[in-house]
Amino acid sequence: MIISKQLRKPQLVLIVDDQEINRDVLGMILEDDYEILYASNGREALELIREYSDRLSVVLLDLIMPEMDGFEVLSRVRADEFLRRIPMIVLTAERSAELKALQMGAADFITKPFDMHEVILARVSRIIELSEGRQLISAAEHDPLTNLYTRNFFFEYANRIHRYHSVWRMDAVVLNIEQFHSVNALNGREFGDNALRVLGEEIKVFLAGTKGIASRFDADRFDIYCAPQPDYRALLDRFQERMNDLSRNASIRLRMGVAPWREGLEPMQLFDRASAACNMVRGDYKTRLMVYDEDMLEREMLNQRLLNDLRRAVEERELRVFYQPKYNVQCDPPKLTSAEALIRWQHPELGMVSPGAFIPLFEGNGQISVVDNFVWSEAARQIARWKEQFGVTVPVSVNLSRVDVFDPALEETLTGLVAENGLERSSLKLEVTESAYTENAGKMIERISRLRELGFMIEMDDFGSGYSSLNMLSAMPIDVLKMDMRFIKNIERDERDFWLVEVVLDIARHLKVPVVAEGVETGEQVEKLRRAGCELIQGYYFSRPLPPEEFEKLIIKEKEIERGE
Amino acid sequence: MTIQELYSAIDGNYEQAVRVMRSDRLIDKYVRKLKDSQVGEKLAEAGESMDATRLFESAHAMKGVCSNLGLDRLAAAANEITEEFRPGSARKMTDDEVCARLDEIARRYRDTAEAIRRYEEQA
Repeated sequence: MIISKQLRKPQLVLIVDDQEINRDVLGMILEDDYEILYASNGREALELIREYSDRLSVVLLDLIMPEMDGFEVLSRVRADEFLRRIPMIVLTAERSAELKALQMGAADFITKPFDMHEVILARVSRIIELSEGRQLISAAEHDPLTNLYTRNFFFEYANRIHRYHSVWRMDAVVLNIEQFHSVNALNGREFGDNALRVLGEEIKVFLAGTKGIASRFDADRFDIYCAPQPDYRALLDRFQERMNDLSRNASIRLRMGVAPWREGLEPMQLFDRASAACNMVRGDYKTRLMVYDEDMLEREMLNQRLLNDLRRAVEERELRVFYQPKYNVQCDPPKLTSAEALIRWQHPELGMVSPGAFIPLFEGNGQISVVDNFVWSEAARQIARWKEQFGVTVPVSVNLSRVDVFDPALEETLTGLVAENGLERSSLKLEVTESAYTENAGKMIERISRLRELGFMIEMDDFGSGYSSLNMLSAMPIDVLKMDMRFIKNIERDERDFWLVEVVLDIARHLKVPVVAEGVETGEQVEKLRRAGCELIQGYYFSRPLPPEEFEKLIIKEKEIERGE
Repeated sequence: MTIQELYSAIDGNYEQAVRVMRSDRLIDKYVRKLKDSQVGEKLAEAGESMDATRLFESAHAMKGVCSNLGLDRLAAAANEITEEFRPGSARKMTDDEVCARLDEIARRYRDTAEAIRRYEEQA
């Protein structure tokens, strides 16, 4: 696009000369093309340069002046980080002064007397053009928000360091804000931008005086190429503390991946590794730092493969939903009441992939909603099929991830699914893990309450594994508590573990909600839990998760019991 | 008296003045200013005290104005003094030689100022 000269804001030129005749002559030469400011000594000039620093295109500077000479002005401007960009053309009749001024950083010189107007005009215009060109490059070089390098320039410089200073053996560090899009969505763009700015500042402070460089790109990714640090945990804590200072209400959690220097690896490869390490931290609530090692390469490749294959897995029906029954043990015999939907992935090449391998991975990058949506619709269809086949509704619990809860279309999706399949809303139970409540509890509670008002049942999953405070519990909208499996494991042998189970049951009684005990494997466990007042039990004791066609046998059996057969 | 006639009278380089000023109006303005600017008087005063800094500054100022106005001889003479007293460079002339040069400048400056006065009266 060509911007005509007439449309462009006139460029501003400062003429500094103690002699009026020189100011007048230069003014006369330039007045048709530029807006002009005048100063008659160095001191005045500096004041004007500071005042108009963002608009000045060039300064024409006499060298020999009273009060403050041109050399002094030149050296002060060059020493100032913000003023440095303004080009200075010196006005002189002395050859020796020309050289000195150029060495001090003057962009060019104009010889006195000013008898070659066209040459002067051309020089001024060329210097402005050059400097604007340089500023364009500089704008592309730096991220305007943090002033760190942009990605391309960062890698260009990192490659130079790698090529010419390989003895520095720099490490690659990738720093990320967990769920940055949610931070923005919940607290506003301005808050998010400020967090990025503050983090950028802290990185600059960390790198000050070192040979390290840093970059920001893809919104919240910070790449740092720095000398090996003795303690990356301490470095992460330092950055995290700055984030904690930002706000009491909004929580910003950083994660860090480090790839230590390795012979023969280019910066780009090193940063790929650091990024892979950083991505492994995703979704993990406790570990915030990961240092890359060779095992990770394999894991990373597997992860990448799973991420790539997810879409195909949905389309080709490699993903399947299994159902694990829940029994009410307060009845005799225990009665099948409901089921939990559990995802299985039969990968054509990798075989059965454990949910433990892909669920945290998809939770980390938001793709978990693809899996969740798949499970919801499969489960809803299955409930309807059983209802049609056997005339009974077997409510099914499905997982609701944090990302889903903040999806604006969630209510519509769920109500739509239920309606399409002709189900009661209460037949689709939504499991939310306890730890999901720990961040932005207010917002979370609000969204969940809304779902509950719509008629969905809410189950709190893994209760006891997170950090909910008791007073928060009463505010949480829940219909069922699911006790974390780890509680159950040792109840036969360990009194203390059993006592904890009793505490959870007590809490549930106060909240007037039933408890589901998960991971129950033995008859003794069932008996202990039943006697302690636990209502619902899920686990291998009754059945492993089953494909729908096998689950049907349990329904049939249940019906036989009902009929007294 | 026209501006060109003035330049003939003071042995000035009118073409150079036009190259710099591009108009008789501006040459007229600065020729008149030269007379009132006291550049000659300031240089003479500096010479009396032989103060190197003042000599450099006032000679530099005279050189600047005169070279713009095409008063080449005055400009060249002032340049000699400027270089003689440029901070950081070694002196080449004796004080007597400097005084002789200053006297010559003063005489030429007086003549020039006188001619300008006449030009003002007759313009």
